[in-house]
Amino acid sequence: MELQMPDIKFMAMLPIVIILVTAVAATILGFFTSRRNIAMLGITGQVLTLGSLFSLWDQNLSSFAGSLQLSNVSLIFAGIILIGSILSQLTSLDHTARSNLNFPEFDIILLYGVTGTLLIAFSGDLIVMLIGLEVMSLSTYVLATLQESRRSEEAGMKYFLLGSVASAVLIYGIALVFGATGTFSYDGIRQAIASQAFQNDALLLTGAFLLLAGFSFKVAMAPFHQWTPDVYSGSPTIVTQFMSIVVKTAAFAGMIAVFLRALPGADWTLPAQIILALTMIGGNMAALRQAEIKRALAYSAIAHSGYLGLALLAAPDLGIPALLYHLLGYTFANAGAFAVIAMLQQDDRGMLIPKMRGLYYRKPLHAISLAIFLLSLAGIPPFAGFVAKLVLFGAAFQSGYTAMTIIAIVTSMIAFVYYLRPAVLMFMPAEEPQSIEERSFPNSTLTVLASVAATVVLGVLPNWVLTLFNSPIVQQAMK
Amino acid sequence: MINVLLYLPALAALLLVFTPGATKKYIAIAGSLFAFIVNLLLWQQGGAEVTSVPWVPALGMTYTIGLDGVSLLLTLVTSFMSLLCVLYAAFNVERPGPMLANVLLMESGLLGIFASRDLILFYVFFEATLIPALVMLAIYGGPRRVQALTKFAVYTIIGSLFMLLSMIGVKYYSGSATFALADLLAKPLDPKVQMWLLLGFVAAFAVKLPMFPLHGWLPEFHEENHNSGVPDVMGTLYKVGGYGVFRFALPLFPEASEELRFILMALAAFTTLYAAWIAFQQTNWKRVLAYAGLSHMGLVALGVFSMNDIATTGALYLLAFQGVYMGALFLAVGMIYNRTGHVNTNSGGIMDDAPVLSGLTMVLWFAAIAVPGLAGFIGEFSIMLGAYQVSPWLAFIAGLSVIAAGAYALTAYQKTYWETKPQGTVALKDITGLEGLILISAVGVSVIYGIYSSPAINMIRPVVDRIMQGLGG
Repeated sequence: MELQMPDIKFMAMLPIVIILVTAVAATILGFFTSRRNIAMLGITGQVLTLGSLFSLWDQNLSSFAGSLQLSNVSLIFAGIILIGSILSQLTSLDHTARSNLNFPEFDIILLYGVTGTLLIAFSGDLIVMLIGLEVMSLSTYVLATLQESRRSEEAGMKYFLLGSVASAVLIYGIALVFGATGTFSYDGIRQAIASQAFQNDALLLTGAFLLLAGFSFKVAMAPFHQWTPDVYSGSPTIVTQFMSIVVKTAAFAGMIAVFLRALPGADWTLPAQIILALTMIGGNMAALRQAEIKRALAYSAIAHSGYLGLALLAAPDLGIPALLYHLLGYTFANAGAFAVIAMLQQDDRGMLIPKMRGLYYRKPLHAISLAIFLLSLAGIPPFAGFVAKLVLFGAAFQSGYTAMTIIAIVTSMIAFVYYLRPAVLMFMPAEEPQSIEERSFPNSTLTVLASVAATVVLGVLPNWVLTLFNSPIVQQAMK
Repeated sequence: MINVLLYLPALAALLLVFTPGATKKYIAIAGSLFAFIVNLLLWQQGGAEVTSVPWVPALGMTYTIGLDGVSLLLTLVTSFMSLLCVLYAAFNVERPGPMLANVLLMESGLLGIFASRDLILFYVFFEATLIPALVMLAIYGGPRRVQALTKFAVYTIIGSLFMLLSMIGVKYYSGSATFALADLLAKPLDPKVQMWLLLGFVAAFAVKLPMFPLHGWLPEFHEENHNSGVPDVMGTLYKVGGYGVFRFALPLFPEASEELRFILMALAAFTTLYAAWIAFQQTNWKRVLAYAGLSHMGLVALGVFSMNDIATTGALYLLAFQGVYMGALFLAVGMIYNRTGHVNTNSGGIMDDAPVLSGLTMVLWFAAIAVPGLAGFIGEFSIMLGAYQVSPWLAFIAGLSVIAAGAYALTAYQKTYWETKPQGTVALKDITGLEGLILISAVGVSVIYGIYSSPAINMIRPVVDRIMQGLGG
């Protein structure tokens, strides 16, 4: 009897294996050593993983009969995810004690979560994608709840209940798509649709729509976004930081794979347009009324999901580089903003925006960097956010979605109000003297400085990154 | 060389952040002085050729800069006034550090605006000047600055986003590979799409110019700014709308501009008269100046939109030198504040105590109301002359504003400087050496270019002719 060897390329599993080994090692060592060492181990593991991505560039490896695919696009997604998670873990080093999270489990679970996100980025079929998504989601539920406080428990519970429903919707969608096309793999689904070789049109459409709904929950798009403000403001700030960058990037990696690689021609664009319009309008309007910076940033995250979603509508060769660039700029700006908030806040409830008045006179560097992040999020040159919005809106416009582009531009005008308000308040002299808490946060400061540098460099010299994204190999990978 | 000019002030601003308090002012002065010297050297060389390097090829963004006559004149005025501002702020403002840094940052942005020949680069510099303006208002502003600030930010940003949309549209519809102006001009647009794109540009520039009805932010912006007048000067230079229309909007959309010419000119003429009328009723010097500036900008808009070569030359002349004498007037208001503690027009009797200050201010006001022999006259007269050839009635309406200007300026001046002093006020000090130097140099520029206009005209004229030729007129 001939032994059939499965198609396994160990090289293709390298990033996931490194991060998984790190996570397992951290789990075991967690019993023997301090939390700080575990965190350092985690950061080292993630940096190694990031390094391994470079060796896989341009190789287009796949493994397990296409279930894992390491195209350049997925490598860039993985890179952005890892940058975000490294920044989060670096920030967390300073704050776990105050946030009552000072035990190694925090870092361990974070590492497992990152493993899940990488699985999504490298997925070649719906099942791997789903496994990654569940690993990531379960880790985030725990992270949100880990702090022993009512607020955080409530946030975690809300996230868990709604997240499970979303997963159920997503699984149902996967089942229907499988039922219609007879395959889980992205390439297979696309071929089946292209050759008209599927059984049931309605089945496929319903499946696509359920997938869209499920993902809309994960990336916080209206009307599935209601959990976001509560969960973001209820969770410890360092967890919010992780959720707002890493989880979002991973979910968009999944969305790109499903909607652009598996279902490019299906009729999901009309519901998607409605969802995106609702997201951009609702997110920005609600953000206007927030008095608390974490909630405002949560609504800003919702609004940004709307902008990012434009990339799904646009032609892939325009949309995907735009999406990647925006995610990268957004990762740095949000990581930096939450790191600054973590340093400034008295407790994990965040900060009231009026309390930020006069910050410049107490902590000038904090104020200047937070202002840079907010301006970048608002899309004002010469910061990364400007180029990001330019490429993203330009991609949607050139693909013929004029109405969506106009909604995006008008809503980002509204957004200026809530980004500029805290940014400018910080520079006004405070009315009453405020106590200054003199504590240094060396690691968070590092996060902030790295993010400021990246936000400025990405804004002034976007070419370095954009050519990378635009290289023909990236285009090839999406064919 | 040109890059040195653009980034020297910003570099000095960056340096300010890292230097201790006492040395800050000297670094700022050195930075702006060197920028001015570099600018003079560039003038001697006759400007700078347009150079282009790809910036973001994937998006068609290029780093295209150049200085021709018009740009050179405007950069000279900018770097000159920035130098005066830095000098004044360094010795007359408490805690001048952040203000100096912002003035320098703004100078870089303004110089960049006048040098860029790429739409996106222009937009970047356009927005980059916004941040220092907001920060200056936020740090040094008056009690109701939040409202002023919000209004200002909302107006300008909304305007510029429409412009950004139009910019994307221009590149898309013309099929050009880049955003560089030369490339875009090489591929004329279909007249059908021009109209909407032009309106996008006009929305942005009408906010910045500003033009009725988009001027709402202006009076409060000036009133709430720091009393020294320094941020106001930079804010005055900020009126780059007229230049933007001339450089970008008209050449890119010739047919649409032709079609809208009358409406835009009428709006501009109305702005001039309307602003002059409101200026007449103001009792706050900052507001008088704000509305006077608005009135001048109406004239600039009238000249530019008339698409007539004489009027356009006049408009650019006015745009350049208005920056000098209006800027100096804002600083003069700051000097009044230093002496009387308020900026109301009803203080009275300043002439008795401070004759030199009053005299210099009067000359500057004469320049502002276009008394012949001073720089304002040449600009306003050319605009009228040119606009008359296009539409005599609109030129007549705008011409009334010159009379109105005499009325509001002299009434306000009379109340502050001549009328008898209120009882029991202390004698005021006359002008200090530094203040005198600043006002005299501004007066000097106004007089020289009021009598001997050909150097400036010779810089403006070839560029105007070239652009008018492109318009087929």
